[in-house]
Amino acid sequence: MSFAFDLYIDRPSWLHRLDPRTKLAFVAFSSILLLSYSHPFVSATFLLGIHGILWSGKVPASRLRWAWQRMWPITLLILLLWPIFYPQGDEVLWQVWRVRITTQGLLQGLSTALRINALAFVFLVLLFSTDQARLVRGLVKLGLPYEWGLTLAIALRYLPTLYGIYTTVSEAQQARGWVVGEGSFVQRIKSYLPILVAVIVTALRLADNLSMALSARGFQSGARRTYLRDLELSPADKVCLPLLAVSLIVFLIFRFRHGLGA
Amino acid sequence: MVIVEDLHYAYPPLTPGGKPIPVLKGVHLRVQKGEFLALMGSTGVGKTTLCLTLSGILPHLLRGSFEGKVVVAGMDTRDHGPGQMSRQVGLVFQDPESQLFNMTVEDEVAFGLESLGLPPSEMEERIAWALEVVRLSGLRQRHPLQLSGGQKKRLAIATVLAMRPQVLVLDEPVTGLDPLGRHEVLSVIEQLKREEEVTIVMVEQDAEAVLAWADRVVIMEEGRLVLEGSPRQVLSQVESLHDWGLAVPQLGELAHLFNRRQGTSFHFITEDEAYSALAGELPETRFLKPLHPKCTRLPTLATPREALLSEKPGFYHPVQTPVDLSPAIQVEDLSYRYNDGLWALAGVNLSIEAGNFLAIVGQNGSGKTTLVKHLNGLLRPTCGQVVVLGQDTASQSVGQLARKVGYLFQNPDHQIFAPTVWEEVAFGLRNLGFANGEVAARTTEALALFGLGDQADTPPAVLGYGLRRQVTLAAVWAMHPQILVLDEPTAGLDWRSTRTLMEEVTNLNRQGHTIILITHDMKLVAEFARRVLVLDGGRILAHGPTRQLFQQEAVLRLAFLAPPPIAALARRMQPYGLRGDSLTVEEFYQEYSALQRLDKEQRSRSPEQSEGTGAEEQSNRAPATLCPCDLAP
Repeated sequence: MSFAFDLYIDRPSWLHRLDPRTKLAFVAFSSILLLSYSHPFVSATFLLGIHGILWSGKVPASRLRWAWQRMWPITLLILLLWPIFYPQGDEVLWQVWRVRITTQGLLQGLSTALRINALAFVFLVLLFSTDQARLVRGLVKLGLPYEWGLTLAIALRYLPTLYGIYTTVSEAQQARGWVVGEGSFVQRIKSYLPILVAVIVTALRLADNLSMALSARGFQSGARRTYLRDLELSPADKVCLPLLAVSLIVFLIFRFRHGLGA
Repeated sequence: MVIVEDLHYAYPPLTPGGKPIPVLKGVHLRVQKGEFLALMGSTGVGKTTLCLTLSGILPHLLRGSFEGKVVVAGMDTRDHGPGQMSRQVGLVFQDPESQLFNMTVEDEVAFGLESLGLPPSEMEERIAWALEVVRLSGLRQRHPLQLSGGQKKRLAIATVLAMRPQVLVLDEPVTGLDPLGRHEVLSVIEQLKREEEVTIVMVEQDAEAVLAWADRVVIMEEGRLVLEGSPRQVLSQVESLHDWGLAVPQLGELAHLFNRRQGTSFHFITEDEAYSALAGELPETRFLKPLHPKCTRLPTLATPREALLSEKPGFYHPVQTPVDLSPAIQVEDLSYRYNDGLWALAGVNLSIEAGNFLAIVGQNGSGKTTLVKHLNGLLRPTCGQVVVLGQDTASQSVGQLARKVGYLFQNPDHQIFAPTVWEEVAFGLRNLGFANGEVAARTTEALALFGLGDQADTPPAVLGYGLRRQVTLAAVWAMHPQILVLDEPTAGLDWRSTRTLMEEVTNLNRQGHTIILITHDMKLVAEFARRVLVLDGGRILAHGPTRQLFQQEAVLRLAFLAPPPIAALARRMQPYGLRGDSLTVEEFYQEYSALQRLDKEQRSRSPEQSEGTGAEEQSNRAPATLCPCDLAP
């Protein structure tokens, strides 16, 4: 049984040790960069760089393969459909009826596919190397109210539980001859009622117990909350953060002052 | 330490304008510092509600009408909310799933300490201590969902323990655990009481556990405490306890049986007491004469495995059904691997005759549920074959198999969804495509059979736990499956509901239905099952007649199973001529009283011997003709 919807892989690496806030800053930095630069060369270089980071962060190759397996269908779709639906420029390579394929359209498709992949991998850098608890702690440290952070953490924690309840309930109903509905949308939704009702009732009962468990553990007891593992910026973070800021400024100047990489 | 005075509590009405639901109706309770108090009562009498009032959750989290007074460690719960009370009262809920909401064991324990605002250094110290006490120190970075059932419960204890409460309130801390898990949790609780002087209030259904661990017992019935005293005193009130729907220790039941039928006044309740009381009544016997051939069964268990595999019906085990020897289920070389690569079953071979009653036992995670899910196609073999009623399951859908194999899930709430009990029972029949007339006829029949006729129009979700269990059994039975699989059906049920359920299941078995029961309760296995399958790590550790299994000490130890107290007592009394394989109180009594009769007859035949008082004569006392076979009723 999978016990968490979690991409985190525990490895002793510099990437894992970085403060989640630094990694969040990296996500922001990369997103701005990828959205402002559209040249395929930039996205390709960036994608390569991210793989370098993942490799040095000891993320196993199997995980990367897993990620690519999920990314390639969408990549293929973009590469195929973009040139067909957004034919730009005059350099027509191929034309049938009203469908034109242009060089620039092809390049744009390639660029979009690379950017989307690069963005996905930027988030994977964060998710592969940061466990959910630290991620939530980072967000709270950045100003998210604690209650919200706790809610988010609990939601993440209970996803597998709810999934488990859903599986058990659907097995229990299947054992009574229930089959996934066929026919119209409404009929199908209706056929799911035996499962949904039981899942929702069980989930409500769980939520009720959870709220009692929280107060039995002194939640909102009036004391000011302290933290067992408070996040503190390490020397590595103190190097990375200014580096990210400076390079962002430099890249933005190149892009908008000098019009590079459009 | 705990003072409860004339406590009344009623839950707010379920619907606006409805009536409040009174649960506690005048509870008086005092618990001394350092005491281990057990609270017993059948389901729905208000035990959990009482726990919630001790921690201040009631009335603060859920309003409702609260009268009377609860003071714990000098704090009145009317003036202090659950947040403040949590420093004094640690409340451990029944369901571990809903109280472990963090990503690691360490964070789980830290949560309460963070709420109290403790400095990190002190937190570190307390976490280390709490995890040490519950013996989870090595698992700090584990995800709570990766822990076993017993570990989860111990973690739940650690989470409140770290807050250093003076009182620990535990709501059925061992329900649903396998025998090993139960022992781990109970010994941790006992250690806390002994070494840390924590006051314990524990809700528990199992009389044997209460007897072994608690200092004092209170019995709750209909929102009031009706009986209190030492476990010995309280648990020997066999008739009253049964009237309240509660279990009594098995040997207490035996004493009661003797007193009722022979007019004795036995008070024994533990094995030692029973042994010394009963052994005194019989002469010690040695088997001087060669044993009757029928009796050689026990001594010749040369290799346990062979003995277990060769099925000879116990010679006075009542044959309950004419057994049709065609197999209902054949499992051949079944292996199953989950997606994460874990082998849950490895090379299981099994054949179950139609009309048999098989119990499947073993630790949690040994593959019991995985095995039975193959019978109705919820899981498909990774390798091997499963044949049900002569047909390979590979060629049949779950829906088709549902006509042959009924499956009762552990938690009734996982299948209850319909607006009325009638609809709930009819659901399966409609799925199978029966005509309306047939659906109505079978549903009505099922409701009548399981005593649910009056509840036909009630929403099943508002019924008590025992009745919800009945509804799910009726719903499965209505489909008239040849084979009935019950996955821990009695977990969380009180004694009376368990008896009702098992009697119904036995009736179905008498009518020829094949029954497969997964359970941790060895008393149920001994009393009802004809064969037992012991699983361990996805393999069959042993398989054979129930009576033989309980003779296999090595197998039992390997699977962390303990025979029921009556079986242990019978074994111990073998030197007095008992065969030592009694499975129920009634069997033991019959055999023992037959021995008594035999002894009396011999004495009357040779009066000169019984008059002698010398040691020599004692040892010569006529056991030579005694063979256990002569005792068959």
